[in-house]
Amino acid sequence: MSDTINKVCVIGAGTMGAGIAAQVANAGIPVLLLDIVPREGDNRSAIAEGAVKKMLKTSPAPFMNKRAAKLVETGNIEDDLGKVAECDWVVEAIIEKLDIKQDLYAKLEEVRKPGTAVSSNTSTIPLEQLTSGRSDQFRKDFLITHFFNPPRYMRLIEIVSGPHSDTDTVAKVTDFVDRQLGKTPVVAEDSPGFIANRIGTFWIQAAINSAIDMGVSVEDADAIGGKPMGIPKTGVFGLVDLIGLDLMPYLQKSLTDTLPKDDPYQAIARSEPLLEKLISEGYTGRKGKGGFYRMNKDGGKKVKEAIDLKSGEYAHAARPVSIRGSAAKGDLGKLISIPGPIGDYAWAVLGPTLAYSAMIVPEATKTVVGVDDAMKLGYNWKMGPFEMIDKIGAAALVTRLEESDIAVPELLKAVGDGSFYRVEDGKRQYFGTDGQYHDVERAEGVLLLEDIKLNSEPIIRNGSAALWDVGDGVACLEFTGKMNSLDVEVMKLIQKAIPIVSKDYKAMVVYNEGSNFSAGANLGLAIFAMNIAAWSEVEKLIRQGQKAYKALKYAPFPVVSAPSGLALGGGCEIVLNSDAVQAHAETYIGLVETGVGIIPGWGGCSEMIERWQNNPRHPNGPMPAVSKAFELISTATVAKSAAEARDHGFLRKHDQVTMNRDRLLHDAKEHALSMVEGYAPPKKPEFRLPGETGRAALKLAVDSFRKQGMATPHDVTVAEELAIVLTGGNTDMTEVVTEDQMLELEVAGFMRLARNPKSQARVEHMLETGKPLRN
Amino acid sequence: MSDVVIAGYVRSPFHPAYRGALAKVRPDDLAANTIRGLIDRTGVKADDIEDVVMGCAFPEGEQGFNIARLTVLLAGLPQSIGGITMNRFCGSSMSAIHYAAGQIAMGAGEVFIAAGVEAMSRVPMTGFNPMPHPELSKTSAAYVGMGDTAENLAKKYEIDRAAQEEFAVNSQQKAGAAMAKNAFKDEIVPYGDIDTDGTPRPDTTAEALAGLKLAFDENGTVTAGTASPLTDGASAVLVCSADYAAKNGLTVLAKIKSMAISGCAPEIMGIGPVEATKKALDRAGLSIDDIDIVELNEAFSSQSLACIADLGIPEEKINLDGGAIAIGHPLGATGARIVGKAAALLGREGKKYALATQCIGGGQGIATILEAA
Repeated sequence: MSDTINKVCVIGAGTMGAGIAAQVANAGIPVLLLDIVPREGDNRSAIAEGAVKKMLKTSPAPFMNKRAAKLVETGNIEDDLGKVAECDWVVEAIIEKLDIKQDLYAKLEEVRKPGTAVSSNTSTIPLEQLTSGRSDQFRKDFLITHFFNPPRYMRLIEIVSGPHSDTDTVAKVTDFVDRQLGKTPVVAEDSPGFIANRIGTFWIQAAINSAIDMGVSVEDADAIGGKPMGIPKTGVFGLVDLIGLDLMPYLQKSLTDTLPKDDPYQAIARSEPLLEKLISEGYTGRKGKGGFYRMNKDGGKKVKEAIDLKSGEYAHAARPVSIRGSAAKGDLGKLISIPGPIGDYAWAVLGPTLAYSAMIVPEATKTVVGVDDAMKLGYNWKMGPFEMIDKIGAAALVTRLEESDIAVPELLKAVGDGSFYRVEDGKRQYFGTDGQYHDVERAEGVLLLEDIKLNSEPIIRNGSAALWDVGDGVACLEFTGKMNSLDVEVMKLIQKAIPIVSKDYKAMVVYNEGSNFSAGANLGLAIFAMNIAAWSEVEKLIRQGQKAYKALKYAPFPVVSAPSGLALGGGCEIVLNSDAVQAHAETYIGLVETGVGIIPGWGGCSEMIERWQNNPRHPNGPMPAVSKAFELISTATVAKSAAEARDHGFLRKHDQVTMNRDRLLHDAKEHALSMVEGYAPPKKPEFRLPGETGRAALKLAVDSFRKQGMATPHDVTVAEELAIVLTGGNTDMTEVVTEDQMLELEVAGFMRLARNPKSQARVEHMLETGKPLRN
Repeated sequence: MSDVVIAGYVRSPFHPAYRGALAKVRPDDLAANTIRGLIDRTGVKADDIEDVVMGCAFPEGEQGFNIARLTVLLAGLPQSIGGITMNRFCGSSMSAIHYAAGQIAMGAGEVFIAAGVEAMSRVPMTGFNPMPHPELSKTSAAYVGMGDTAENLAKKYEIDRAAQEEFAVNSQQKAGAAMAKNAFKDEIVPYGDIDTDGTPRPDTTAEALAGLKLAFDENGTVTAGTASPLTDGASAVLVCSADYAAKNGLTVLAKIKSMAISGCAPEIMGIGPVEATKKALDRAGLSIDDIDIVELNEAFSSQSLACIADLGIPEEKINLDGGAIAIGHPLGATGARIVGKAAALLGREGKKYALATQCIGGGQGIATILEAA
């Protein structure tokens, strides 16, 4: 048995299997993807091949970059099953039919090396049934690894092992999906629906039943049951449209067939005539003609329509009820107490769902942490059920459940007046089924700022940023403003942090735990200054940003940026000015300033040129790096993964990628510490740039884009300013342009554009609509 | 003085840039392989060759360092053979033939290889470091995009999109028919196991082309389907004196009757063949009606149609085996391809006079008139 997993085989090239194979390839690991031989056609591997081709066109993309697809070897189970012997882990993701799965396992047993881990991606079939009839060795090597759709983007994986499973094998697979595939493993018991789908299916059923029974419209139901509960804004009906209405009866059946008769789900599971009618007429959701919502394109304009749950007719989607105050922002106690239909519906969904969640511990998973992680990572809930209960108060929930004649689960009774989570001695603890509190354990190599904050105060902080001690002599710069936007306060804090870190620490990481690293400068403040023509203030902001970022770049200690999610504009530029980057695989980075009519002003222009000039695989000469930087910045290119960021030059060779979000801070810290010994700040770059002749070349390209209708008139103006900076202003190839001169060019270009009313219109439009104005 | 003759013509397979089979092949390797093929097939004594004249539109990167001489060394030819790289953009390798003919006429050598190469996958059109003269680029159309010139001619000659597409479909069908008859076998020197063109799309229909997006001007008529594709390819022609050919038993395809260069406005460079052809006809003492075979480089449908209209060439004489819209247009290699092809067609079709002509970016035309051997 191999200690490591060097090659994986995925059998079943449906959405899940193919998506799992893609994620293995994203990790840089070769993967064999097999499916059955199609009934028609000469190509016996057409199904697996077709799945890879389709994924290359799917959005959101299963592959992190197109090159990853080359790591997927395709085949069919009749000709290629023997290749399983080369693999260290086989994932079965075929149809949910027990006999077919068992047949496959019997064949696998003949070809695999003993010790090769085998797992099923089943969501419904118990492990005991899957392995019945198999050898002891096979049972030892077998487990369930339940991914969520789409496998690249959903962080949850439920791990189910049986009584015969070998602990080393389970540990090996668990470690692999965690570190290599970036998933968060949650250990589930071998019970129907495991954790997330069991609660999720109950919740969806409760929400649909209640809306129909209480006469709540789908628009209102989603407005109440979505954002205010910390649930994606699609709400339940929007979610069902997304996963497919036709899947509902199937999920329902698999649970009613396998759950005990007295399970509360049996009482609420029911078939709705409306749902059946919609499915039979092809209204299966977004993949079909529509679902509870549809986009009506009749009459040329797209109109969002919602179905009337009573009549089954579509009508123009109505503006839903509005929920005000703290009830709209996660105060669940308030939400369920709002008198009238809003509070009543909120309770009708939440009350039974939370009670059900408490009831399935420890049957479905041993701890409340497992339940909360499953719902947060598998269904994108902001809070897990037990965190929700703590918001309402366990005792208050029990009272309300009793009033509503809903059985109160033992665990809720046991916690009494207490809460499911508490902080003790700076450690987060959870309430166990033994009635005791236990520390929430993090896996080795997982370090969270969230945990650090429980037992320490920042070294320094202001309204927009904070500096934390994350141990081992490393300080962490955190953005704390709204949406992690960047402003003068952030720059001030950076300047204040540098002497502190120089004196008392070895290195700095730039990291935060927002869903986005930073979407850039605070545009609201910028437009305010522009509107009152406070040009000196605008210029001050640019210069302060440049100074702060360059001070970081040339500080006497290593700085490692660790972005995850969006890193745009100024958020991208701090990454570019760092000594090294430890990027989460799901990092979306780009210099998008031109979208709002300006150009990068915090060193982004020269940093991009430097990166492309130093790329040994890029042609030499005064133009190629300039052209490439111009292309990326003028089109506001955003990389759709860290892998793509590398292709675009936002990441360099020595920059590293972490697959698992929870390991990012730890990895960034290690990366920074590895640079401490013998660290010397980088030398200031000098550029040889083409000047006016380069501008003439770029102008030809821009004019051609304009003619093709791909650039607007103001795009041309912005591109011309960008070209001045990137070509080095009034330089000549024989002269040297310093970094400081480049920064001056950035300021000048930025300020000319800031004063341009068309750029101001772009900024305002972005603030109002969140979309770029194409003027 | 002895006549100057074409005593051999070959080319590499042509493949679309970036996605084609030659994308990873160095241009110097491709050219060397093609020249080697020419020598093998003609049986010319390598020691007799005076010079390799290599046309190339962007002679930099892998096409730099005087690729002509490097090709001599790569092909394992005698060190005594010289190498000169010539650049007249798309007219480069036709100019290579003209240069060789001139040298022979001057008595400055008897046997030349006039070749051309362009690896458009590997050296971008405009080169790696486009650095236009800022003033000239403001005051003239010297650097105008080729697509724009095609649009300009479409407007000037009122050539609508459908007419351009019909022309393109025709070219594709002719190339398809030629491929089906294996008509390119004699001219293609395989590169490794790549022995056919990857460029033609003989199944293209007018309907399919009508669905393509406009490539250069959102209010225009030209699409990728009515433009020649970016192509990787090389070509080579053996140019020698008639006496030498006779003495050494070489098969003569045609003799060079006349040649010409002309200039025109850069913004309508596609009309270049008209003036160049007139000059060449004049020098040959012929009229357009005397010409039996025409190889007119199809940079764009609109440009080709404008030239055909101005010169009054009957359709059935033009590009019998398809043109650049189907076969491809590796800039530096096209001139030698169409002269070589015209010479070969004279024999195949049993005709007397052939014309090879093409337009050149920046506003030029070039033409060669051949007479059957």
